Amino acid sequence: MGGRLAIVVLALAVILVLLTGFLVSFVFHFPPTLTAQPTSVGNGVTIHLETVAAVQDAIAFPRPDDPHPTWVSYLPTTILKVPANSVVTISIDQEDGASGLRNPYWGKAQGIIGGTFHMTYFDGNGAPQAGDFNAIDPTTLAHSFAIPDLGVFVPLQGIADAAPAGSHNEITFSFKTGKAGIFRWQCFVPCGAGSIYGNGNAMSTFGYMHGVLIVQ
Amino acid sequence: MAVAPIVDEGPAIIQTSERRIVIPTNIITAIVLAVFGYWIGEQLGNSFMLNDAQNTGVLLGYSFASILFLVGIGFANYPLARLFGWRVTPQPAGDDHTGAWRYLNLSLDHKVIGVQYLVAMLMAMLFGGIGAMLIRTALLVPDPPIVAPDKYLTLVSMHSVMMIFVASAAIVGPFGNFFVPYMIGTNRMAFPRLEALSFWLVPPAIIILLAAPIFGGFQTGWTGYTPLAEQADQGFDSYIVGFTLIGLALVVSGVNMLTTIIRLRAPGMTWTRLPIFVWGVFSASILGTFAAPILAAALVMQALDRTINTTFFVSAAGGSPYLWENLFWFFGHPEVYIFILPAFGIVLELLPHFSRKPLWGYRTAVVGLLGVTLLSWFVWQHHLFMSGIAPAIRPFFMFSTEMISIPTGIVFLVAFGTLWRARISMTVPMLFCLGFLFNFLIGGLSGVFLSDVPSDVTLHGSYFSMAHFHFTIVGGEIFAIIAAIYYWFPKMTGRMLNQTLGKIHFWWMMIAFNLAFMPLFAVGLLDMPRRVSTYSVNLQTLNDWVSIWAYILFASMLFFAFNVIWSWFFTFKVAPANPWNVRSIEWLLPTPLGRRNFETIPVFTGGPYDYGNPGAKPVADLGGSGDSSLRGLGAEPVPS
Amino acid sequence: MLSVIGVFVAMQVHLPPGDQSTQSVDETSLLDLMLVISTPVFIGVVLFILYSVFAFRQTRGAVVDGPPSYGNFRLQVAWVAITAVIVLILAVIGINGLQNSSAETSFASSQGALGTTGSATAAGSRLQVQVIGQQWWFTYRFPDYGGVESQHLMLPVDTNIEFHVTSTDVLHSFWAYELGIKADANPGVDNITYVSTARTGSFTVRCAELCGLWHGHMADTNGAVVSQADFATWIAQVQKDNAGLKLPPYSPIYFPHPPVKGS
Repeated sequence: MGGRLAIVVLALAVILVLLTGFLVSFVFHFPPTLTAQPTSVGNGVTIHLETVAAVQDAIAFPRPDDPHPTWVSYLPTTILKVPANSVVTISIDQEDGASGLRNPYWGKAQGIIGGTFHMTYFDGNGAPQAGDFNAIDPTTLAHSFAIPDLGVFVPLQGIADAAPAGSHNEITFSFKTGKAGIFRWQCFVPCGAGSIYGNGNAMSTFGYMHGVLIVQ
Repeated sequence: MAVAPIVDEGPAIIQTSERRIVIPTNIITAIVLAVFGYWIGEQLGNSFMLNDAQNTGVLLGYSFASILFLVGIGFANYPLARLFGWRVTPQPAGDDHTGAWRYLNLSLDHKVIGVQYLVAMLMAMLFGGIGAMLIRTALLVPDPPIVAPDKYLTLVSMHSVMMIFVASAAIVGPFGNFFVPYMIGTNRMAFPRLEALSFWLVPPAIIILLAAPIFGGFQTGWTGYTPLAEQADQGFDSYIVGFTLIGLALVVSGVNMLTTIIRLRAPGMTWTRLPIFVWGVFSASILGTFAAPILAAALVMQALDRTINTTFFVSAAGGSPYLWENLFWFFGHPEVYIFILPAFGIVLELLPHFSRKPLWGYRTAVVGLLGVTLLSWFVWQHHLFMSGIAPAIRPFFMFSTEMISIPTGIVFLVAFGTLWRARISMTVPMLFCLGFLFNFLIGGLSGVFLSDVPSDVTLHGSYFSMAHFHFTIVGGEIFAIIAAIYYWFPKMTGRMLNQTLGKIHFWWMMIAFNLAFMPLFAVGLLDMPRRVSTYSVNLQTLNDWVSIWAYILFASMLFFAFNVIWSWFFTFKVAPANPWNVRSIEWLLPTPLGRRNFETIPVFTGGPYDYGNPGAKPVADLGGSGDSSLRGLGAEPVPS
Repeated sequence: MLSVIGVFVAMQVHLPPGDQSTQSVDETSLLDLMLVISTPVFIGVVLFILYSVFAFRQTRGAVVDGPPSYGNFRLQVAWVAITAVIVLILAVIGINGLQNSSAETSFASSQGALGTTGSATAAGSRLQVQVIGQQWWFTYRFPDYGGVESQHLMLPVDTNIEFHVTSTDVLHSFWAYELGIKADANPGVDNITYVSTARTGSFTVRCAELCGLWHGHMADTNGAVVSQADFATWIAQVQKDNAGLKLPPYSPIYFPHPPVKGS
């Protein structure tokens, strides 16, 4: 009698430990951190990112073991660590096609040094172009890079249909960080294809189109 | 596989086929079939190739798994036997056993179901509690760099839905099923199969909910507001199926309880002799029976929106998120009274026994319970004051919400009247009842702040409302449940819970609960919204204080679990038949209880609370079932 | 006696939302009133329970029954009557406040959440501000100034303001804490609320309805009520910043596109 019930109690305890372990490993699963590289001059740092239509199509930063290979994503990770009171330069290889903005307000670059970003891209004929911009047509956005609490909003233009295969638009911009803290950054383009309003899957899961900027 | 034995039962009038192949129906078959059912459902759902983000597969998988689980546990045996003309065995396999094995199998014995429910609910409460601890851990720092916000919101959602499961069934399930038949003097419930079904729907619901993280979880909270819910990934399918199963359990149990209480009362058990706990179960069952179908219907609409692209809740395509809000709260507000009405029943049941006084104002108490039942249908829009509903209907819902304080006030009056000039024994159940009165008072008074529209503007959706409903549900309902466990445990299991540990548990839990939740009113007034993974830096001290006391509160529950497990399995002393020395009929029967409740159906001759009245008749003529030494008011002192 | 002390203490508590708008003044006084009413109730009940527990204890040893009182009809009627009166008073205060606040927008208007218009002004003279909720930031459009859009909210002081709250995706709730306003943002719905600013100062805008991943981060502490002149300067700057933008024409609602999955 006592022995059997002890077994039952033990079995319950095992189930409990397994379940707690499952929950804890789910909750505390956090993407890896990317520390910005210092530049050779000044107190600046640089970060190189890639945006892809599907994780499995990544060129610069492949992530073969990702549980969602078909999701749109920033790569290699979305946890960015930068020093306080520095100039952060981010360059993004943008390989995704255009989805368009829901609120065209985000088509304008804000909060970046000089008010403009540099972009190399392909025009409608597939010819490479380059220039400095402070806004782009809201219907041509593939993604955006926004840190609302720092006032940083940068539109990323989608790659033209006529562009050669395997090519990318490159967007480069800089902004200043202030005091230390943790700031979220996100994409404002409803790019989670296949979900209602485009804000499901990658747009509602941390680590794909969302991340944090750790300023320290 | 085994061939059923052929038993000669004399000349058969109906031609029955005796030869059949029988797969033993038990918990193992059920689990195997459930896994198989999930696989079939997922394959089938994905084979439609709908533009549905593979929600159909998961939804069908869960549904098939639940149905085949029930088949495996043995719910199909009886209908199939009738259908094919096989020999009918009314008694399921579980009831052939006498040991612990029957608790893991289908049993139609209401006593077994009560214990099954109790264990399942305590387990679910533990899962929900672990979720709460993880939430409080994430909130130790204003901006946690270790918990991603989607994971945090999944935790919040799973904690809330799990605790809603617990709160809606944790009184009517264990104590209603176990004691209502005793209290009204019957050997069984009106529909034992439905009673068993109402329990066996719960484990699949809990497991399906716990499976949500496998699909990334869901971030909608327990309200599941659209379009956020429609935007959610497959994790949200757990919410739909899990909540539907609990809704079905509520309906099934409600129908069964109502029928039993109305039809199966023993002779002499008049409506005015009905123990107040039975009235609490009765009124909650009315709400469960009529409110839960609305939830189930709304969830089916959600499921259709997510799978075959209907647009019930999609405003851009002609639907409306208001439809969900209204359907959900039209269920949701009666739902919160499903939590609290049986808790009122427990407190008002226990107070007279431990005050050794009749229940003061019995009829008024019944009117109070039924008044809450009635009014609870007319208040749901107070959750939507800020949603943009027509201003003209807000005064009505404000008034109806404030009206609820009249019947609730009656419950308090009855409690006070019973305590006045009483002879109170400060037993552990009594301590928890008094704790209930204190906590629910705070919960109720804070509810008035939320009911007035202008003040609700500031408080709605903040931690103030979160603190309010935790005071009513944890401080109220959970305290009542624990009082009931301490009170009825000796009769249910034959083991007395350790009273000294119980007193330590009470003070530990009471202090930790109040210190953990009281500051949340202030946090809410200081503009911290609910369900946020980050907060203002200046609120960190308060939040850390809350987290630390929440850990202490959780530790008190582990202490309680230790007391339960220790007293149940590792003390071998059978509890006295009437340890509290009370009048109620279940205590006049011997412990451990017999397989049959009553050898002869009792005839009730008096009320359950007639203490101190020299002219009072005994509660019932028990015939041969009672323990004759327990008939009167014994001289055994009440343990205190 | 204790109740008097309790009420006195309760009156010392400074309750939010404060005095930055006439609405927050109303709400603060209502919260104060409720605290003052509920404090004696709380103290009375707790004292009663404590008194009963200490005065009416079972003596150890023999079990004694209490007096068999089954109820007192008059006391019950009186209790119900008293609670009913309190409820009625609260309801009258609340409904009265609501009626004042909605007088100008017609009580039966199908739109609009809570609001007070304060001193009588013609509907046309209210400053129109549209609040657009989106995952996960509020933006604001000013139809009176050519429909320009901004990511922060500045409001002129001593002005009656009419908010039109809407969403482009899921439900949000626009909560300007110090201003004492909260209104849900629903996709496809124009939810109207009113505020009359009374004092300059900064305020916090938060989202008060669970809206997904960054719900907790959808907070902007840069909102401010400023003088009329500062507001004019600020809105001119916003107009300048909006120069290169291709915003859609101002509309009470913006349906999200794509409206259904996958398209």
